[in-house]
Amino acid sequence: MRGNGRGAWAERFASAWTELRENLPRAVLQTLGVILGVASVVGGFSISDSQRQQANRLFVRVGGLDKLNVLPSEVIDDGSPTALQTANLGLRTADSERGRELDAKLVGGVSEQKLLRSRVRSPLADQERQVTGIGGDYLALNGYDVERGRRFSLHDMETAAPVAVIGSEAAADLFPTGEIVGRPLRIGDVPVTVVGVLREKVFRFHDGQRNLFAWRNRLVAVPATLVTRRMQGDAYRRLDRVTFRIPDLKAMVLFSRSLDSLLRASHRLQRDFRLDDVAKRVKRMMSQGDVYNVVFLLSGILALLGGGMVNVNIQMASLKDRVREVGVKMAIGASGGEIFKGFMTEALLMTVFGTCLGLVVGVVFSKVITASIGVPLAISVASFGWAAALAGAFGFLFALYPAWKASRLSPMEALRYE
Amino acid sequence: MPPIIETHQLTKVFGSNGNAVHALRGIDLTVGEGEFVALVGPSGSGKSTLMAILGCLDSPSGGSYALAGRWVHDLSGGELARVRNEKIGFIFQSYNLLPRASVRRNVELPMLYAGLGRRERRRRADELLEQVGITDKADALPAQLSGGQRQRVAVARALANRPALLLADEPTGALDSHTGQEVLALFRELHALGNTVLLVTHDPTVAALAERQVEIHDGLVRAAGGGEGGQGAEAAAGTEGRAGAEAAAGAEAAA
Repeated sequence: MRGNGRGAWAERFASAWTELRENLPRAVLQTLGVILGVASVVGGFSISDSQRQQANRLFVRVGGLDKLNVLPSEVIDDGSPTALQTANLGLRTADSERGRELDAKLVGGVSEQKLLRSRVRSPLADQERQVTGIGGDYLALNGYDVERGRRFSLHDMETAAPVAVIGSEAAADLFPTGEIVGRPLRIGDVPVTVVGVLREKVFRFHDGQRNLFAWRNRLVAVPATLVTRRMQGDAYRRLDRVTFRIPDLKAMVLFSRSLDSLLRASHRLQRDFRLDDVAKRVKRMMSQGDVYNVVFLLSGILALLGGGMVNVNIQMASLKDRVREVGVKMAIGASGGEIFKGFMTEALLMTVFGTCLGLVVGVVFSKVITASIGVPLAISVASFGWAAALAGAFGFLFALYPAWKASRLSPMEALRYE
Repeated sequence: MPPIIETHQLTKVFGSNGNAVHALRGIDLTVGEGEFVALVGPSGSGKSTLMAILGCLDSPSGGSYALAGRWVHDLSGGELARVRNEKIGFIFQSYNLLPRASVRRNVELPMLYAGLGRRERRRRADELLEQVGITDKADALPAQLSGGQRQRVAVARALANRPALLLADEPTGALDSHTGQEVLALFRELHALGNTVLLVTHDPTVAALAERQVEIHDGLVRAAGGGEGGQGAEAAAGTEGRAGAEAAAGAEAAA
């Protein structure tokens, strides 16, 4: 095994492997430290990642992390408005079109909303209800599916057609019996025809909880244009809300900034609108779970540290055994350097095996944990890198001392060691 | 042909000035090639220290030592390891086999350090085990072997790299007399094949088997006598030894 050629190292690895097998209990104990450390890093990262992704998914389903809202806002706090301020028309369909044109690739959908409280009468019911004037991709953006009938066509929206789409609960309230699509409805003084009924939306955090989306099923929707033109006397046809869907969260901050300046420019530099604070939201989303990552990284480091100490302890406990061995090897021709390389090779092998096993254990562990709390498992690939790097560093550091000690033994003393 | 062992005024001091122990106080010893020499002396005589230095396990405090024509008294640790590997085969009283390694691997180990290939190691190990008569135990662990068998494995291991010198330290000390005789017979056999053997023992009956006895007392060579039936060889070695000593002195003068 003299020298440092490839053959010598191959022999060294083969020899280290044989010695590990010959001293299996010791090798297993030493590897255990690495396994636990790596498993705790991988498991911790993966569990916290799974949690975070689940939280994001819920957020998307519940409120929409990917939605950027534009709302009208009062320009003046008090006093009488200036001519410039009154010259503005407020939030309108033109704004949603400008936004879409700003970056067609980025925008996954735009919806408009105009709210109205009104008398809603069907042949069987007469209620005071909220009516929602909708435009753009409102139904798709809010996750509605049409169960029967159809959704609004572009033509409906442009011509302010007297049509309505209603949610499942609203349908049950207004038309307890019979076919619904095609039946008349009177909203205020405007007669409309129901053209579609939406599928019931259900969302519960846990089974048995009440349906958090019940309110969505109460929707009575008509084209926003119908509300602005025929139900409200607003000559400017202003909207209550424009929502952009930006699937790429990372691009959202930039998009919101350029949208802000675009709208400001087209609103004569008056801030009569308000955008969601996207930067804050994205930052919060990104930092969510960072605390856990640090905690798990720390616990992994601690586990590896503990494992390393255990290793040193085991090395020291088996010192008598090992010193005699080292003495014998030196007597038959192993140099101090060779002993050192032998120890380090063994440590390297144990670290590599421990890391691989630890990765498996960590994945299995996080699978069990995430399954028990009902969260889909998301394996954090970065954690593999972290765990392997840490295990390598600790494995190397903690192997160094015993290896150095052994290599410095004098053969005579080592042979006589009792 | 230079002698295998040639020492000149070899000294070894343990400890420092105040409580220094002079284990060796000037050993002149010459062992020629093919000799079978017994190093005898009571415990504390310095023979173990001498053996350690002759075996390149330790360095002398003073004097010179040439092993098979090469000065080794001032070599570094790594170089000494190489000399041990190539030139010396050790046989210990307590066998000193690796307890969890198979018999074959124990025998292969010196060849591994020498850089021999796997196939070559295995071939030679099997050959050696056959030579010492324990072919069937190649895959056993040392603990599964009797004392005599273990010592045979140790002998096989010592022979692995065809050393210039076999150095046996009380090889029969842990064996019953019958097994001890068998092992000693093996040494005589190896000697007959041309190996140079240096046997360290406190037992006069064991020492009597050697061609020549060197008695160590208080760190000095006290007497050298012939063993049974080796007079001619001893005489030859003696002349060679003297020639070697002169050569050594010359080399020192040159240096």
